[in-house]
Amino acid sequence: MENKVGVYICTDCGIGNSLDIQKLQEAAEKYNPVICKSHPFLCSQDGVNTIKNDIKEKGINKLVIAACSMRVNQDLFDFDPLKYVTERVNLREHVVWTQPANNENTQLMATDYLKMGIIRAQKAEIPEPNISGVERTVLVIGGGIAGISSALSVAEAGYKAILVEKSEQLGGHMRHMHKVFPSEPPYLESKPSDIEEKIRAVENNPNITVYTNSIVTGTEGEPGMFEITICSNDKLVSSSESSDSAEIAKSGPTRYKTPECSEPKKFKVGAIVFAIGWKPYDASKLSEEYDYGKFANVVTNTEFEKMAKKGEIKRPSDGKPVKNALFIQCAGQRDKKHLPYCSSICCMSSLKQAKYIREANSDASAYIIYQQMRTPGLYENFYKSTQDDEGIFLIKGSVLEMSEENDGSISIEIDNSLLGQKMIVKADLVVLATGMVTNMVPDDMQPNNLTEEFIGNIIKKETQDGITEELVPIPVALNLKYRQGPEMPHLKYGFPDSHFICFPYETRRTGIYAAGAAKAPMDAAESETDAVGAALKAIQCIELTAQGKSVHPRSGDMTFPEFRLETCTQCRRCTVECPFGALDEKPDGTPLEHPDRCRRCGTCMGACPQRIISFKDYSVDMISSMLKEIDVPDDEDFPLIVGFICENDAYPAFDIAGINGVQLPPNFRLIRVRCLGSVNLVWITDALSKGVDGVLLIGCKFGDDYQCHFIKGSQMANERLGKVQETLDRLMLEAERIDQVQLPINEYDKLPEILNQFVDKIKEIGPNPFKGF
Amino acid sequence: MNYTEGQDKDSKNQNMAGSVILSPDLKFIRDIKRLGGETVKKCYQCATCSGICPLSSENSPFPRKEMIMTQLGMKNELFRDSDIWYCHNCNDCSKLCPRGARPGDILGALRAKFIMENSVPRFLGKIVTNPSYTLFAFFIPAFLLFAILVSLGHLSIPDGKIVYSRLFPVESIDLFFSSFVAISLIMYIISLRRFWLRLRKEDNPQTERFGKALIQAVAEFLLHRKFSKCDVNSDRKNGHLMVFYGFVGLFITTSWVAFYYWFFHINTPISLGDPLKWVANTSALLLIIGTLILIANRLKDKNVNSRSSSFDWTFAIIVLLIGLTGLSTEIVRLINITDLAYPLYFIHLLFVFYIIVYFPYSKLAHFGYRLLAITFHKMAGTDVT
Repeated sequence: MENKVGVYICTDCGIGNSLDIQKLQEAAEKYNPVICKSHPFLCSQDGVNTIKNDIKEKGINKLVIAACSMRVNQDLFDFDPLKYVTERVNLREHVVWTQPANNENTQLMATDYLKMGIIRAQKAEIPEPNISGVERTVLVIGGGIAGISSALSVAEAGYKAILVEKSEQLGGHMRHMHKVFPSEPPYLESKPSDIEEKIRAVENNPNITVYTNSIVTGTEGEPGMFEITICSNDKLVSSSESSDSAEIAKSGPTRYKTPECSEPKKFKVGAIVFAIGWKPYDASKLSEEYDYGKFANVVTNTEFEKMAKKGEIKRPSDGKPVKNALFIQCAGQRDKKHLPYCSSICCMSSLKQAKYIREANSDASAYIIYQQMRTPGLYENFYKSTQDDEGIFLIKGSVLEMSEENDGSISIEIDNSLLGQKMIVKADLVVLATGMVTNMVPDDMQPNNLTEEFIGNIIKKETQDGITEELVPIPVALNLKYRQGPEMPHLKYGFPDSHFICFPYETRRTGIYAAGAAKAPMDAAESETDAVGAALKAIQCIELTAQGKSVHPRSGDMTFPEFRLETCTQCRRCTVECPFGALDEKPDGTPLEHPDRCRRCGTCMGACPQRIISFKDYSVDMISSMLKEIDVPDDEDFPLIVGFICENDAYPAFDIAGINGVQLPPNFRLIRVRCLGSVNLVWITDALSKGVDGVLLIGCKFGDDYQCHFIKGSQMANERLGKVQETLDRLMLEAERIDQVQLPINEYDKLPEILNQFVDKIKEIGPNPFKGF
Repeated sequence: MNYTEGQDKDSKNQNMAGSVILSPDLKFIRDIKRLGGETVKKCYQCATCSGICPLSSENSPFPRKEMIMTQLGMKNELFRDSDIWYCHNCNDCSKLCPRGARPGDILGALRAKFIMENSVPRFLGKIVTNPSYTLFAFFIPAFLLFAILVSLGHLSIPDGKIVYSRLFPVESIDLFFSSFVAISLIMYIISLRRFWLRLRKEDNPQTERFGKALIQAVAEFLLHRKFSKCDVNSDRKNGHLMVFYGFVGLFITTSWVAFYYWFFHINTPISLGDPLKWVANTSALLLIIGTLILIANRLKDKNVNSRSSSFDWTFAIIVLLIGLTGLSTEIVRLINITDLAYPLYFIHLLFVFYIIVYFPYSKLAHFGYRLLAITFHKMAGTDVT
């Protein structure tokens, strides 16, 4: 592609007053642009028309707009990305709004940015989207309230849905509910569930195909065109387990057991809603604390609900009606030994069930022993109305001891923190508010004791290097034929990783959207809303894929990683490190691309030691070339630092700093990257060998409360930085010249401190010995 | 469960480990709700009330403690609790309660419930506290007084100068009232003693002797010192003080009249220039004005800070009426309207009966309980001054 570069420098917003525009233009001219002009008001109609005329008349195809941040005026500088490369050089927020006006250093910074911008535009190519046929059908796994709502939403939007349910009937847990939480104002009364109605709606909808008593035994391919295999439960072939595990121990690559089917059924879908639901925590593990299983009249909340549904609220020991019931909240919850988390629904559930007791007998008493009463949102009204009932006793306290009386009733000693006195209650029935466990967790596993990232077993294996441990993931519901494993990774306690604030439906497998209690503990109403969201995300994914565009967070990006496989050394770093499992492996060990699974973060590009991975408009060579354009001053007292900044949070943080007039040190040259995960170590060595005194990576938080838009990018960068030490040693450089900081978007005000400290540190270390070479 | 049974259960309710056995009395909670405490279950124990209450102390988070005990239906524990009598209903707590649980009203309901159940004989407690029996409560003295008239043959309005003793001779009326008041007093003392025994069950440290503590408590009463700590209801203090001294004055007047009659054979009506008359009329005015202030205060409040129960209203109106009928009886006599004077006098006597005979069962009973509660606190050294 021929480079016909047009450089446009806007002089408005203080740019013209702070910088010598003439000199900037002279610097740009060295790159032989077709056009280089300044404009007093580039984002005006006149300014935009100037650019459009040049495109028409001079055939400009690379636009370098040196003006404001790329995050603003996107609607004005909107040129067809399939025809033109648009590069926005941020002279406003990142230069004149954070630097002193008419200063030599400010001018140098602006010049470097302009030069780097021109190189970036020159190196960029027009994307060629990967357009493939898509199947406009959504597979919904799980026929509970979330799955049903999802399928109905998909059908309502005019798409087809296939609903696969493991059990004989649709409806899931909702079928066993005597009553459900109030769902409309004033939120005072629980009401019967309308699940039967919804099941009929699903069954009568011509756009929904239902397979009950079936499981998904295989998911292959990529969004837009997943190939799904399902199998009826009675057609499953059980394989002998013992031989399997023995085989694992001996053979080379570890395999997990996938179900075999005598009569598989195959079809294609465009996207998947993962709504496999929840199960109650195994109460038999609570025999120690709450005597479950020891005393006949201790039941769980799910068991009690079933009793109420049958209309038989009776003591299991002797069938006598229950007069007094005691509910124990957080039974095996918020407890490191069992479920470390709060299931969020049990307070409401016990309040609802306490009312069952009272409705059955106006002289009955129901006690709720709680630590904190948690009734989210307007459920507060339900809590208040329940509290008003004279026979419902909400007691903040903890259970000290339980004992069984001769007549089968239970005597419970409670430490009441509000009365300041211990109390003893005698109850006919004790109901344990046990929590929700996602069905991602296999039955024989504890949510608080799962292997990291992928749920599985650690298998010891004999290899040449002695005995090594390997994680063998367990297939549960998706049976993905992906290199990284058969299921989605989890972040904690088995819940499929999904950032509940930034991207609540996204999982780490593109095109698969988790909904309902499989994803996080939630009640039916919340699951319904959640399911609608997931259904719409699935449809969005299908439509974006059809256009060759990326989904969240780089929605609309038409580039995808390209591999120059001739020089691939089969190191597998890219296939292992991709946060989204986008890459499989060919038999020879080279990566097998699945462009539609890709989120375009470039983590593979950052990982590749051979630098064979690049995007049309983002590559290792591009950034290396930009680094070469930086003018490193000889002044030993002026350290020059390259900052690789994540464009998701760090870049806007710098913008906000500019908007707020926060003054920043003049030593930095910021280069935006798609994600810190895409930072290739070669850029660091390139920068250092050019004489740059330090390199700072600024990106999102990582760890448990990560904020990385690509989940592991900033963490990956951090791990790689640990390894850069070796390279620095070879160059005889101090490791402290390289650092990474985690910066949430709202902490722009910390930038001066962060940047100045780093400058001071570099000053202390002294100038880069390569300076001037 | 009646009160006596509850008392027997007290010992069983405390087990070895000091845990209380919780068996909530739902009827009790319902009664409290009915007596003006319908908001009791709303309390979520934030302790704003204890923070604001001038009588609350660190060891006795009052009235938060009473709120949770009432919610849990812990009737026996509450009836042993001196603090419900310590409160004088200033309603700072109800004003500030973020949940609208109105702790002030709950304590009022608890006191009403206590009077109802602790008084001897209990049926009178019920008749007097329950407003639907009020008419019946008036029927008793009406019947008795009428019986006296029948026995004396005074069935027509006497002619001539209005002298009320011509309807009810002093001997008969004095005998009638003094015997009933004596019975009432005995009953009241029995009730108070029951209360005192309940209080004394707890082994509180004793720092002061009963006599001295009682004298201090009386002194405080005379000055309404605790009442002054109130923010919300400062008007109420003045009203209450006037009613209090009104009653005191009328008590003195009555004794004085009896003294004149029995020792100096001075007959009623007594001349307006006599100091007795000054005391009498001042007291009557204090009573009327004080009650009007209390009623006005309640109306002004418009149920925002407290919801007066019908128990409270009935009593306030009767106190007002006793003052009004008494004063009118005097005025009507002075302007000499014979046909109105004697019936009015009869009606006035009904109110007098209601107040002075029924007092152990009415709101007036709080006088003794509160005095004992303060005495108790003074003895234990926990009094907030």
